[in-house]
Amino acid sequence: MTRVKPMLLTAFAAALVAGGAIASAASPADTIAARQANFKKMGGAMKALKDELGGGADKAKLAAAARTLAATARLQGALFPAGTGPSSGVKTDALPAIWTQKPVFDAAAGKLVAEADKLVGIAGSGNTAAVLAQFKVVGGTCAACHRQFRAEE
Amino acid sequence: MSTDNETVKVWDPFVRLFHWSLITLFAIAWWSGENHDMDRHRQAGYAIFALVLFRVFWGFAGGRTARFAQFLKGPGAIAAYLKTHDGETPSDGHNPLGGWSVVALLSVILAITLAGLFAVDVDGIESGPLADWVSFDQGRMASEWHEGVFKAALGLIGLHVLAIGYYQILNAQNLIGPMITGKRDRTKGEAAADVTWSPVAALIGIAVVGALTWLVMSGFKLG
Repeated sequence: MTRVKPMLLTAFAAALVAGGAIASAASPADTIAARQANFKKMGGAMKALKDELGGGADKAKLAAAARTLAATARLQGALFPAGTGPSSGVKTDALPAIWTQKPVFDAAAGKLVAEADKLVGIAGSGNTAAVLAQFKVVGGTCAACHRQFRAEE
Repeated sequence: MSTDNETVKVWDPFVRLFHWSLITLFAIAWWSGENHDMDRHRQAGYAIFALVLFRVFWGFAGGRTARFAQFLKGPGAIAAYLKTHDGETPSDGHNPLGGWSVVALLSVILAITLAGLFAVDVDGIESGPLADWVSFDQGRMASEWHEGVFKAALGLIGLHVLAIGYYQILNAQNLIGPMITGKRDRTKGEAAADVTWSPVAALIGIAVVGALTWLVMSGFKLG
């Protein structure tokens, strides 16, 4: 097990670097596609959590989904550089408010990471009630940020 | 049963209750969906699901004019109706064209509820009761069908209202009143019998549909 951890860390660092590289060098279209793919991944992880909480409550599956959520949430902050809003001409639901209120947006993104980390901390505990409560807190941070910064479908 | 009465019962109470409940619940589902009140949206959806299932059952076991076999006619009968209908002689229940409108409306509304059962929202937080049987991507697709067929349903409902307006205004045929009271005026010499229905059949339908709806609401997770 001790050998796995450095590997994971390396992969994680690589992902961060890649994320940073995309943010600095990629076209708005690539950046938007990358963050949309990440949001989709997080949506899938949220669904996996919800399915388990409403059914088998498998500890390993809950923990895996929580880790996916937290790791992906970490990548998102860097994927909103200036120039990747609706004015880029690329189809995106990201509202201009993200850039006019960048500190508020960054705080919301940070809150998601913090709450997702808390979920990772308890997801494998077997305390389904606590996991469900934290799942709802995470869902609440998604919804709050989306209300303010995402266009209605 | 007397044909001396000036009015004749054309719609049994379940047809009427179904009709007005469906309108109310459809409005509630629309409103709650638009406002992201998903708990209420799901409740309205379950009720609509139950209503439509019951109406399908009632299409085989209900009063005369409720039955599919009575009002679904072939293209020949539809053509004849379009040619001969004078705007004054009322049909016994649905006319040959309106009958198919009923089937179309029931089909789209059933399709919306079925898609809704598997639908997942973009955040993976809100979902239908059967969504854990499908993947996130499949759930998102169900959600798009849910929305797409809803728009088709709005179109059909618009057509339905226009058709009623046509009979009501241009033909002076009151179709709304009978859907409330169940009765319409007899035309001279008309011998149509009052619609009758079986309470036993209704109870069986309610029990079966209730059980099915409960199963779906609980995601088929028993115990």
